[in-house]
Amino acid sequence: MTNRAEHSCHHCGISFGWNPLETRTEDDTTQLFCCRGCQGAFRLVCAAGLGGFYSRDDRALPTVSGATSAPYRDDDLNRHVAADGEYCRLDILVCGISCPSCIWLLERMIARVSGVAEVSISYAGGIASVRFDPALTLPSAIFESISGLGFLPRPYTPALSDREARRERNDLLLRFGTALFLTMQLMAYSYSLYAGYFQGMSPAIKSILQYASLLVATPVVFYCGWPFLAGAWQSLRARSPGMDLLIAVGALAAWIYSAWALAVGRETYFESAAMIVTFVLVGRLLELSVRRTALSGIEALYAAASQRATLLEQGGHRDVPAADVRPGDRLLVRQGERFPVDCLVLEGETEVDQSLVTGESVPVLVQPDSEIRAGCVNIAAPIQVQALRPVGHSYLMRVAALVRMAQAGKPALQRLADRIAGWFVPAVILLAVLVFAGQYVAVGQGFGPALMVSLSVVLIACPCAMGLAVPAAVLAACSRSAALGIILRSGEVIERLAAVQSVFFDKTGTITMGQPQVISFCTFNGLDELEVLSAAASAEQPAAHPLARAIVAFAAEIGLLPGECRGFAITPGKGIRGETEGSRRILCGSAAFLEEQGVPLSGRDDREIAGDTEVLVVIDGRLAGRFLLCDQLRPGAEELVSSLISRGLDLMLVSGDAQPVVDRIAAAIGMGRALGNMTPDRKLELVQSTQAEGRIVLMAGDGVNDAPALAAADVSCSLTGSCDIALENADIIITGDDLRRLATAHRIACTTMSVIRQNLAWAFLYNIIGIPLAMFGVLTPVYAAVAMTASSLLVSLNSLRLMRIKHHG
Amino acid sequence: MDESIILLIILSLCLGAGCWLIFIWAVKKGEFEDVEKPKHRMMDDE
Repeated sequence: MTNRAEHSCHHCGISFGWNPLETRTEDDTTQLFCCRGCQGAFRLVCAAGLGGFYSRDDRALPTVSGATSAPYRDDDLNRHVAADGEYCRLDILVCGISCPSCIWLLERMIARVSGVAEVSISYAGGIASVRFDPALTLPSAIFESISGLGFLPRPYTPALSDREARRERNDLLLRFGTALFLTMQLMAYSYSLYAGYFQGMSPAIKSILQYASLLVATPVVFYCGWPFLAGAWQSLRARSPGMDLLIAVGALAAWIYSAWALAVGRETYFESAAMIVTFVLVGRLLELSVRRTALSGIEALYAAASQRATLLEQGGHRDVPAADVRPGDRLLVRQGERFPVDCLVLEGETEVDQSLVTGESVPVLVQPDSEIRAGCVNIAAPIQVQALRPVGHSYLMRVAALVRMAQAGKPALQRLADRIAGWFVPAVILLAVLVFAGQYVAVGQGFGPALMVSLSVVLIACPCAMGLAVPAAVLAACSRSAALGIILRSGEVIERLAAVQSVFFDKTGTITMGQPQVISFCTFNGLDELEVLSAAASAEQPAAHPLARAIVAFAAEIGLLPGECRGFAITPGKGIRGETEGSRRILCGSAAFLEEQGVPLSGRDDREIAGDTEVLVVIDGRLAGRFLLCDQLRPGAEELVSSLISRGLDLMLVSGDAQPVVDRIAAAIGMGRALGNMTPDRKLELVQSTQAEGRIVLMAGDGVNDAPALAAADVSCSLTGSCDIALENADIIITGDDLRRLATAHRIACTTMSVIRQNLAWAFLYNIIGIPLAMFGVLTPVYAAVAMTASSLLVSLNSLRLMRIKHHG
Repeated sequence: MDESIILLIILSLCLGAGCWLIFIWAVKKGEFEDVEKPKHRMMDDE
């Protein structure tokens, strides 16, 4: 059977080449589906009367693997339920939300569960908040309605830090809103005063306007500016002057000077005090909006492991929480289940998917006496195992502990603005003291006038644009990056990324796709290529192994659909057998497997194999064909390496794979150095020892095995599709498959830093020119107004240049 | 002249304070909690 066809699944939208499943809809059209899951989901959606979902343009359904088939248990879930009046509230973290349509569908499906009063899903974090009547429904029914759609629900208890962050944001928003409202009023008075300064103004009106200014400026400085005042006091006590101190000194100096000036009848500068506070608050708010709400990676790891286990006892088996498993217990792990604890195989043979744990995608054969780590997935056959360690001591939990330690010990780079403020503030204050001494002692001014001149030095030296200089550039950079498919976790990342000196790349899943692909296919003894390929694809079709899937996909690419296969059998880790049309006996597998089966393997050249994986095809006892498969490089890997090297960075490939395989990939992309056999703790050690040499390290990786190194590195990068914990620890997330975006991110960071430096230089320049004027007491309101507006405008416009950065250009 | 300026200042403060109160109410009500949602929500038919 070799009909060429390409179907598109009505539910998930993927294109596929195998036989479609069909469903007739109410309006009598036939829809095609790629699998039972999609067909089932379609029926569910239609039965709920939500067929309109399929006409939405923006839908992209999730393919969450591991949407567990184990039933949800109410006694577990009830622990996460909180009372809320006569109703109950349950927060659920829904994994697999990829588009607004998912949320649309989920909200409606959950709302249809009887007893659910209210459901709301946040776009930012994918957290569903459900209010329900406990008398009418059980938490498990809500969970099942979510998992029935193919999403993975997890109970979610908002961390204390999360609530804290939300409170902080609201607080800042209130302060900023108030500051904005008052400063707008203040500007009206100030511009009138400026006009009056040039054109003349009756003293009565002038003092009315000045008192009004005092009225509105005071809450701005002391209520809206409170975070800076408090921060300044703390930095004084810690003897480490920073941005907060600069802002507090500037705002206070302006306010005190103006209050004094009002009393003695001179020009006031209340707007200066208010504008500093307002601008810096805008900056803080912009920075906060950049940071995305995320649940901690460690929590995600615990969620991956905290599961249930099937305990084998005399006379049957019993379902228990994984936490109750004791070392020595005998467990049954069925096909498709995760291993709950580190364990030893007792009976049976199977293949396990270790991708969560090691990042390597090719399944590993396990036999009696093999050790398996918690978090691996059993993909071939049910086996019996013996628990070695309790859940808390499993490999996964040890990685979680490593991550937590690495996070805590992460060296924090002092921010550029803080560094500058660190010497600028003491310098300005010293200057002010000298000016006061000079005016009081040398010039012989009175105490009051001398203090006023020295305060005016502080006021004029405090750059208002400084509050805007960094956040404006950071916001422009972050929004530009997001448009280019690069998500930056926070503004600080930019500064660290621009300073990176050493870059470590994980191999599997980062530099390579993490999925094997057929790179060559040949036949032996003059057999027809299409015939052999069709036979192999038919025989491999029932297997779930990535190598088998690669072969089926390879056949589908050139239009061959797999045919029928009877008598299919897997020998885990070695190969498969089956009978296709015309009773042809097919064997596919490694050379060792075929030798075991007594097939002569003459006439094939071993040398061509190099580091690739070989799969041989045997038809009716004769060697018929050979596939060579290898893990393909991600698109753009070479360009990424060459452009990073051209910018003088030091690159290294690190992987858990054997040294020769790693060397070969490194050579293929032009990376000079490569290290194989790297475990998570060795990767962590490598990062930390490089940091100890004083270098700033970027780590790019995707698996749990990379998580400790990602957490320790100064900057970490993951691709979408990485495991949760890698994503949670990543400062930079690259969307899509194109690795060149990392190079673009680095370029954006470098450009942003130079823009920030220009901004700061401008902000200071204007004010530094003003200091001598202030020192000799010739400070004029015209100068203050022009300098403040011009430098703020210049800084904003300069930052906007970042929006023009293009990909790879 | 002076009285009218004082009157105008008080008037503008009152107007501004009205907007400010609405803003505070919106923050307390959680209008700014999820700023992503409304732009998608308006595409829904119901």
